[in-house]
Amino acid sequence: MTIAAAQIVALSPLLMITGVGCLALLLDTMAKGRAPALWLAQLGCVAALLAVANQWMGSGSSQPIWSGMLIVDRMALFLDGVLIIAALATLLVAAPFMREHEFEHGEHYALVLFATAGGMTVVHATHLLSLLIGIETMSLAAYLLVASWRRQPAGAEGALKYLLLGAFAAGFLVYGTALVYGTTGGEMSYAGIAARAARAADNPLFIMGAYFLLTGMLFKIAAVPFHMWAPDAYEGAPTPVTGLMASGIKVAAVGGLVRLLGSAFANPGLALGHAGWVRVLGGIAFATMTWGNLAALRQENVKRMLAYSSIAHAGYLMIGLVALGQKVDGAQPALLVYLAAYAATTLGVFTVVAWVGRRDDERLLIRDWAGMARTRPAVALAMTVLLLSLAGVPPTGGFFGKFYVFRAAMQSPDLAWLVVAAVLNSLVSVYYYLRIVVAMYFRDPVRPWQPFPSVGMAIVLFVTVVVVLALGVVPRPVVELAAGGLVTHW
Amino acid sequence: MPTYAYILVSLALFFVGAAGVLLRRNVLIVLMSVEMQLAAGTLALLSFSRALGDQKGHVFAFFVMALAAAEAAVGLAIVVSVFRTRRTASLDEVNGLKG
Repeated sequence: MTIAAAQIVALSPLLMITGVGCLALLLDTMAKGRAPALWLAQLGCVAALLAVANQWMGSGSSQPIWSGMLIVDRMALFLDGVLIIAALATLLVAAPFMREHEFEHGEHYALVLFATAGGMTVVHATHLLSLLIGIETMSLAAYLLVASWRRQPAGAEGALKYLLLGAFAAGFLVYGTALVYGTTGGEMSYAGIAARAARAADNPLFIMGAYFLLTGMLFKIAAVPFHMWAPDAYEGAPTPVTGLMASGIKVAAVGGLVRLLGSAFANPGLALGHAGWVRVLGGIAFATMTWGNLAALRQENVKRMLAYSSIAHAGYLMIGLVALGQKVDGAQPALLVYLAAYAATTLGVFTVVAWVGRRDDERLLIRDWAGMARTRPAVALAMTVLLLSLAGVPPTGGFFGKFYVFRAAMQSPDLAWLVVAAVLNSLVSVYYYLRIVVAMYFRDPVRPWQPFPSVGMAIVLFVTVVVVLALGVVPRPVVELAAGGLVTHW
Repeated sequence: MPTYAYILVSLALFFVGAAGVLLRRNVLIVLMSVEMQLAAGTLALLSFSRALGDQKGHVFAFFVMALAAAEAAVGLAIVVSVFRTRRTASLDEVNGLKG
């Protein structure tokens, strides 16, 4: 294995985020106050975004790095961009939030970058080792972020459940890797596994290994029945961290699944057929979106409701993965558009949730949101747009994300039932999203509104609403960006 | 000993660990069970690696060891944090979040 300068440049976004994370940690111990670490982390994100843009302009072809451990291609760069923007938005929202609630730690900023670096490794990974390292770097940072609000008992409880089930999932990933490694005759790279998959497909241990890997990944995207941790972790986490989990971490895990299923396990003998993963994943997709939506219907806590909504969205995303397994052409770009639109929407929604609460009064119940439109009409309008995007109502980014994924799935006649179920589910979801809108516009306020002013939150909210509306009116540019990101090696 | 014997042992270890995670209620025992699953993975990797005469499994095992250590560090920190607010290490009593 050689490390050439060109490979360092190709991986510069990932290296920058990792390096700046370490520097922010050091700077925080030496500098006075939390501001220097925060500024360094934000600058690092901006620099990494520029590096992503530079890579995007530079080469159109995909480039394997470090003997096939990682790959730099259009899909990875697209998702890198989404992940870094999610990190930047999280930093902008987390700083005022933590100051208001008096638990500002500089490590928090470093951990956001480490989680992002892990996520970027996952979307670049073309080897089971880099996949595991990426997933665990991302998850360990996320456990700590969830627990970072130490006065809040719910935070520690959510982190504990997240950690125990996350570690359980890591056990599945490791054991699955071992089985795949042994039964393919010593293969760990996706390309190597794909080459041997046809022969190994008769071996029950190989099938078991593949399903163990899939199980480990499904824990990370919170698919039913591996979702038990999600509502508690989402509710217990500080709200900006919940935003990061619902956007960045979900994007990275789905990106990792696209690569794993799209290359290593793409073999038709493995994907299709009676016990193929396409069929299994289709069933899980149906269960995930239905259960997520039904459970969201009866939530009174906004954060918990959005947690179940995020589970439902994992179900819609899995329809795209199923279409990918059926070798539908447009499935992968459709997934990328969905992920970008969903990440922007979620970041905006959780910014509003972080913004409404003051110290000792987080205003997390739906009835606490009553009458917001009277005193804060602009924020109420922004929240309405974002909720409509989550529900998939045009003209928002959420609509086009769903539209492209469902259209891709419709190309395969076997998936029509899944699309019908997803559309019905989206209709159900409108009900609980509108409950918040109704509270904001048509109920009398229960107590006075006095959210704290914050420039960072205002910027994030403004940008996400503009992006969501822009994606809903002129989706073409993002669709073209996403279409440039086809995986080339299957 | 033939390779399949090692694999059988590792499978048994893995499922005992998985059962421990799902059935035991004490947080520390659950964390130990997770470590057992990781150890099972390591054992399987090493025995395949030896049987195939390939080094990748050995290298992967080192990473799994580092991962297990990191997970234990983070895990115990979170357990201590839960214990401080609730004075218990039983999963049945850590149940403030519901729905």
